[in-house]
Amino acid sequence: MSPDSTLGVPEGDLLHSRVASDAGETLAAALDTELTGYAVFEPQGSLLGGGDDATVVTFEAGVPVLAYDATTDCGGPDALDALDAAGPYRVELFELAAADLQVVHRDETHRVPPARPADRLSTDPELAERTRAAAPDHRRADERSSVEAFLADADRIEELKREARREAQSRAEEWGLTGQLEE
Amino acid sequence: MVEAFAVASGKGGTGKTTSTLALGMALSERYDVTVIDADTGMANLLFHTGLDDADVTLHDLLVEGCDASVDDAVYDRFGMSVVPCGTSLEAFEAADPARLREVVAELAADTDVLLLDSPAALGSKSAVLPVVLADRVVVVLQPTVPSLSDGLKVQEYARSYGTETAGVLFNRVRDDEDTERIAEQAARYFGGTTLASVPESDAVRAARRAGKPLLAHAPTDPAADAFHEAASNLDVRDGDAAGVADRFKSAVLPDRV
Repeated sequence: MSPDSTLGVPEGDLLHSRVASDAGETLAAALDTELTGYAVFEPQGSLLGGGDDATVVTFEAGVPVLAYDATTDCGGPDALDALDAAGPYRVELFELAAADLQVVHRDETHRVPPARPADRLSTDPELAERTRAAAPDHRRADERSSVEAFLADADRIEELKREARREAQSRAEEWGLTGQLEE
Repeated sequence: MVEAFAVASGKGGTGKTTSTLALGMALSERYDVTVIDADTGMANLLFHTGLDDADVTLHDLLVEGCDASVDDAVYDRFGMSVVPCGTSLEAFEAADPARLREVVAELAADTDVLLLDSPAALGSKSAVLPVVLADRVVVVLQPTVPSLSDGLKVQEYARSYGTETAGVLFNRVRDDEDTERIAEQAARYFGGTTLASVPESDAVRAARRAGKPLLAHAPTDPAADAFHEAASNLDVRDGDAAGVADRFKSAVLPDRV
């Protein structure tokens, strides 16, 4: 599958194509081989239903740079939500020359903090740490600015807390723990 | 009994077990400390304390009709009382999480500070029980968005059960991460105090390989210093021993679901 997008990621050389239940395996493979290129994740739903949902993650020396929906071009950390718990996936991994991605990787709207894909998609908590350690300094700055932007958004955090309290209440009913809830 | 803390994080990889044991060892200089591996589905405290071959673990105590006494699962290690949990899936499946309440009540009667190493999840009754039972929670964070967001979620779950936040601990912090600024911003949303910012350290992995808590394996490492600072910033409250034990005993938990 091509990395279809108006971003202009060129088609790379296919390294492998397989069905994987854990997207983290692909991220780990990219990191361990210091891949420059991209991975296309196609959730199982679209394999069965013939849909064309696909999420692309690009890499520079094994470290994720961009993430986007190949159909809509929507990108950044939100693009990873589509992959949350959506496995298994058809995963295709492609290699490109660093120069082919240089311009594309300047795009900031589709960029993700280096360890965010591993944090969200891998079952191995150490993978995020390994990715963070492998990221160059200028990429770690992406992480810092995303943390600061997150903490500066008081409304978003209040909503997150409200949602957690709603969830806690409803799970308490499910688990028979309502007697323990604070009035 | 003084106080029971759940050490929680919401997501894996933040170094929760390392933090629990480090806080426990540092607090054991002032208090009688008991550490319990309440992560019954993914136990690993035993590997950090050289108890891989422990005969009796928390799992045994959570099985109905088991004849082991609570004392059988308590091991004196590194100046603390350590209650490890086993790693077998069968034992986990046979265990009744609601029995944790009785075990905690019994242990609470004989100790000053109880630390519950809690699961890095909120998706099941056994995962949420430590924050239900504890007096307060210590949230272990990394300065990343997923960790902060999951930490807030744990805090709100705990608050729903009347368990307030004693403090937050930033762990595995890299040199270039400005946690002072992040901690200042995060303090607007988290309760309690910022206990410390613990640097990422190779000594943590080495300690784990040696089957020892960090403070025993590398007591002069900068990460160990930071955990000492965290323990001294934790204001352990005086509780009424009998009252706390009674509270655990009277917690009305249903049978397994």
